[in-house]
Amino acid sequence: MTADIEIRNVNKHFGAMSVLEDLSLSIKAREFIVFLGPSGCGKSTLLRMIAGLETVDSGEIAINRERIDHLPPGKRGIAMVFQSYALYPHMTVRDNMAFGLENIGMSREVIDARINEAARILEMPHLLERKPGQLSGGQRQRVAIGRAIVKEPKAFLFDEPLSNLDAALRTRTRLELAQLHQRLQSTMIFVTHDQVEAMTLADRIVVMNNRRIEQIGSPMEIYERPATKFVAGFVGAPAMNFIDATLDRSSGNATARFSDGISVRTAISSDLLADDKYSFGIRSEDVRIVPPGQGNADGVVDVLERLGERTLIYIRLGDGQQIVGSDVGNSRVAVGHKVGLAFDGQKSHLFSAAGRAWHAREA
Amino acid sequence: MIESKRRRRTVANIATYFVLAGLSMFCIGPMIWMLLTSLKYEADIVTQTMQYIPRRVTFDNYVAIWTQSGFPRLIGNSITVTFLTVTICVATGTLAAYAFSRFAFRGRTQLMLGYLVVRMFPAVMMIIPLYVVMRGVGLVDSRFGLALAYTSFLLPLFVWMLKGFFDSAPRELESAARIDGSTRLGAMVRIVMPLARNGLVASSVFIAIAAWNEFLFALMLTTGQGSRTWPVGLQLMVGEFQLPWGVLAAGGILSILPVVVLFAIVQRTMVQGLTAGAIKG
Ligand SMILES: Nc1ncnc2c1ncn2[C@@H]1O[C@H](COP(=O)(O)OP(=O)(O)O)[C@@H](O)[C@H]1O
Ligand SMILES: [Mg+2]
Repeated sequence: MTADIEIRNVNKHFGAMSVLEDLSLSIKAREFIVFLGPSGCGKSTLLRMIAGLETVDSGEIAINRERIDHLPPGKRGIAMVFQSYALYPHMTVRDNMAFGLENIGMSREVIDARINEAARILEMPHLLERKPGQLSGGQRQRVAIGRAIVKEPKAFLFDEPLSNLDAALRTRTRLELAQLHQRLQSTMIFVTHDQVEAMTLADRIVVMNNRRIEQIGSPMEIYERPATKFVAGFVGAPAMNFIDATLDRSSGNATARFSDGISVRTAISSDLLADDKYSFGIRSEDVRIVPPGQGNADGVVDVLERLGERTLIYIRLGDGQQIVGSDVGNSRVAVGHKVGLAFDGQKSHLFSAAGRAWHAREA
Repeated sequence: MIESKRRRRTVANIATYFVLAGLSMFCIGPMIWMLLTSLKYEADIVTQTMQYIPRRVTFDNYVAIWTQSGFPRLIGNSITVTFLTVTICVATGTLAAYAFSRFAFRGRTQLMLGYLVVRMFPAVMMIIPLYVVMRGVGLVDSRFGLALAYTSFLLPLFVWMLKGFFDSAPRELESAARIDGSTRLGAMVRIVMPLARNGLVASSVFIAIAAWNEFLFALMLTTGQGSRTWPVGLQLMVGEFQLPWGVLAAGGILSILPVVVLFAIVQRTMVQGLTAGAIKG
């Protein structure tokens, strides 16, 4: 089963504090949607509103064009996996999975069939008679997912389900979730503050901040054409470099000038921009390391981070600003060296004081 | 060096046990004495020289108090009153504690504090107005009336204790249960209550013991055989039987027996950590 989800002009307050303001979002059937944003931006609240665990102050939520915002959670046809897994500790794994099905009066045979099928998919038939206390973190995670699968829900809701796993298990489970989505073809909404999870899992990412949606788009859209300075800074590691700049708009494409005379010719049309202060943004992989004097600017290497396939190089410019550039894995550069920086104008961005973004013309 | 350190530790241990043993004697001593007295013949109780260990053992005192006084009646009344008190507290207090634990409503904090304020007045101060009210509604000298009076000061305690246990049951469990089709009440009964079971048992036993042993309210609010409880009844026997110490001691032992049994049960229940594995471990 699968479903589209429509959220229209939703508002939410806790007491005097506004958590979500006039938020609208359309989720297509079979889509894997990720809500991405810093802690406290309202991701969980939005997810819990879809689930029916929080009331909607105003606005509508519809699943398959049918309004559900007044229905109790159990009547919405959704399943949810929590960060803490929320397994019922006094029940066996089997009973945990059966609980929701028994509540809707499903027959014993169907329940057993579904549980066995889910246990087979998740490779955990041997765990069915255990209690949650006898399982490892990763196994509990599986049971939590199994409990969602057996309900054959219209949509799966995940609230940071990987945060409690160690790094290796997190990567593996991430992959399994992607496969599960392929296999079940269900609508899935996944909440995380981890941009790697968002980038790897999502069909579309909804970047949230400060009560609002900042941008909705595919992972590469979000990465390459961030709609706001917040998105540009939040997505991508290391974070995008930002440098204050004034613009020279005398030619077709604007040229950004930094305080110490460095200039970078961008691929952004001058006509779109104003005579104003801008923030120039560029990702580390678009700042190449070249011999001194051969790039847009020179600087001194502060720190090296060797990641194996590439090396992140933190460089201090003449005016004291730090820029992250990147070089090949076995870079010869060392701390204290003077190096040149070549900015890739095609890949650079400009942000207005209000945070709006401009990018190179689309090819 | 090591030798002296070990010696110091041994000395500290001995001192610790000495203090503990002393305190235990102080607490258990009177009860042991009561037990010993209840097993003596009347002639061996009042003697010239103190006789600690009875030379002759008899169960006559137990037979006497059970057959020749209103004691069974007193115990019966105490059981009824205690049962009513616990029933009222569990039925209303569980819901109240759950609401206090889970819902943010106006006046929540004030109500919780108000519950405590009731406890701050000495019982003697409450008893006159309570008596007037009880007489007004015709509940003086009734077991139900006494249970209600007990509820007035035990329910707040019960709610406070239970709220703590509910607070420690993870909220996401209820969220999960509601998504699994339970109502709020259903999630409370089927998920939270089993987790808070130890707390529920402990709190219930706690108020049961308080109600079982209560003296002052019982003295004021009961007048006749029909509703009198054992603490009052036993006290009144002092005059009735010209200080029959052996019989009184037997009554005392019989009365604390249920308490001892209940405590033994709670102890075991409270040790079990049921919430283990509810969340990430
Ligand atoms: N039940 C609640 N009562 C009051 N405030 C809440 C409640 N739940 C969440 N909040 C607040 O709402 C904001 C958004 O919370 P949440 O949706 O959990 O954020 P996120 O999941 O993005 O970290 C936070 O400031 C949080 O403190
Ligand atoms: Mg959250």
